Amino acid sequence: MIFTPKQLDENVNVSKSHPLIELLWLLGGLILLVGLIFFLLGVTADWAASKVPVKVENWIGQQALKEFPAEENLPLNLRLQSLIDSLPEDSLLHQYKFHIFLVDSVEINALALPGGNIIVYSGLLKQVQSENELAMILAHELGHFAHRDHLRGLGRGLGVAVAAALLFGGESAASSLVSKTLLTFQARYSQDQESAADQFGLDLLTKRYGHAGGATDFFSRLTEDAGSKLPYFLTSHPHPQVRIDALNERIKEKHFRIAKTQPLEADLLAFH
Amino acid sequence: MESLLQNFDLVIVLVLAILGYTVGSLAEKRHYRSIIKREKELLKMAVVTAEGSFPPGKVGSSALVSGSVVISIDYFKRLLAILRNIFGGRVKSYESLVDRARREAILRMKESARKQGANMIINMRLETATIGRSANKRKSVGSVEAIAYGTAIVMNKG
Repeated sequence: MIFTPKQLDENVNVSKSHPLIELLWLLGGLILLVGLIFFLLGVTADWAASKVPVKVENWIGQQALKEFPAEENLPLNLRLQSLIDSLPEDSLLHQYKFHIFLVDSVEINALALPGGNIIVYSGLLKQVQSENELAMILAHELGHFAHRDHLRGLGRGLGVAVAAALLFGGESAASSLVSKTLLTFQARYSQDQESAADQFGLDLLTKRYGHAGGATDFFSRLTEDAGSKLPYFLTSHPHPQVRIDALNERIKEKHFRIAKTQPLEADLLAFH
Repeated sequence: MESLLQNFDLVIVLVLAILGYTVGSLAEKRHYRSIIKREKELLKMAVVTAEGSFPPGKVGSSALVSGSVVISIDYFKRLLAILRNIFGGRVKSYESLVDRARREAILRMKESARKQGANMIINMRLETATIGRSANKRKSVGSVEAIAYGTAIVMNKG
């Protein structure tokens, strides 16, 4: 046998396709897959959340209070109660036992937790200038309870984490990639919830004071240091300016009256 | 700027992927150029997987020669492979890695045989191993090792 050395021109062992094109296909597939999971889980979680009786939620809230005892804030409670009193008779919110807490933190935020617990950060209270503004914020949180967003959020978050861990294993890189993509969907969904809660808050504020004055004041103050709208794509809340525009549109649509706001009363000024 | 900081891990992934892609593909192109050039140089050194039998007196001496190489994946290849883990199919991003490792290992074996004055290598075997197993797991980097070994034969003159 004669050995003739020969250099092969073609390499059959390496695929010819461009890696960036492969990346595009795979990423597209991932977004589609995760979107589908999110949609299915979301529908299930929303359905389940709407079926949970308020009694069960109140019980959860009481268990949480036993674990983390905290003092309720009386001045805030008075404001909340007057808002609840102006709700219609058949409102779901009358079944709740609300507890409102003031937490010392520079963060400008308020939270609605399962079981009718509302947490207001002192950083937010320091920013508030009028009774109407505060009522708008509290009414917004009540809106979350009315739409049962806290339960839905809990259900979705839990479902997504469990699904990702089950499908790809808890420690795998694929699972963390999937949950990161999901967070983007979550942000979009949560922005919709915030807008819906804003609308609820506006209606309740108008019912309480007879006019919509002060509804957008708090957000206008936020806009000053909010900056560009672009980074808000990934956050849980919409850009303040977007919220103001949406509120103003509803005020116009419903012909709400705008009147002068009431300054904060002495019991709340003590926290400033 | 704030949102950049908030999504810091996402930014890191993006930067590493871009870095991995540019540096990784540059390194790969350079490596392939060098592989093809050296393969041409060493073309005369015959390598066969057959055991080979020689008439008595033909073989002057024989020795074991081996060449091995370890090649690491880059972040971009890893990202593609992780995505492949979800959907299944050919992990194309690792194909060139294994190809480079095997050809480089054979080249190194041939170079070592040439240094010993050998005319050919018979009974060549190739083996591949992973270093840093489960490369697609979080926080781990994988590499591939290829080792080629065979019997270098020095023929008697005449």
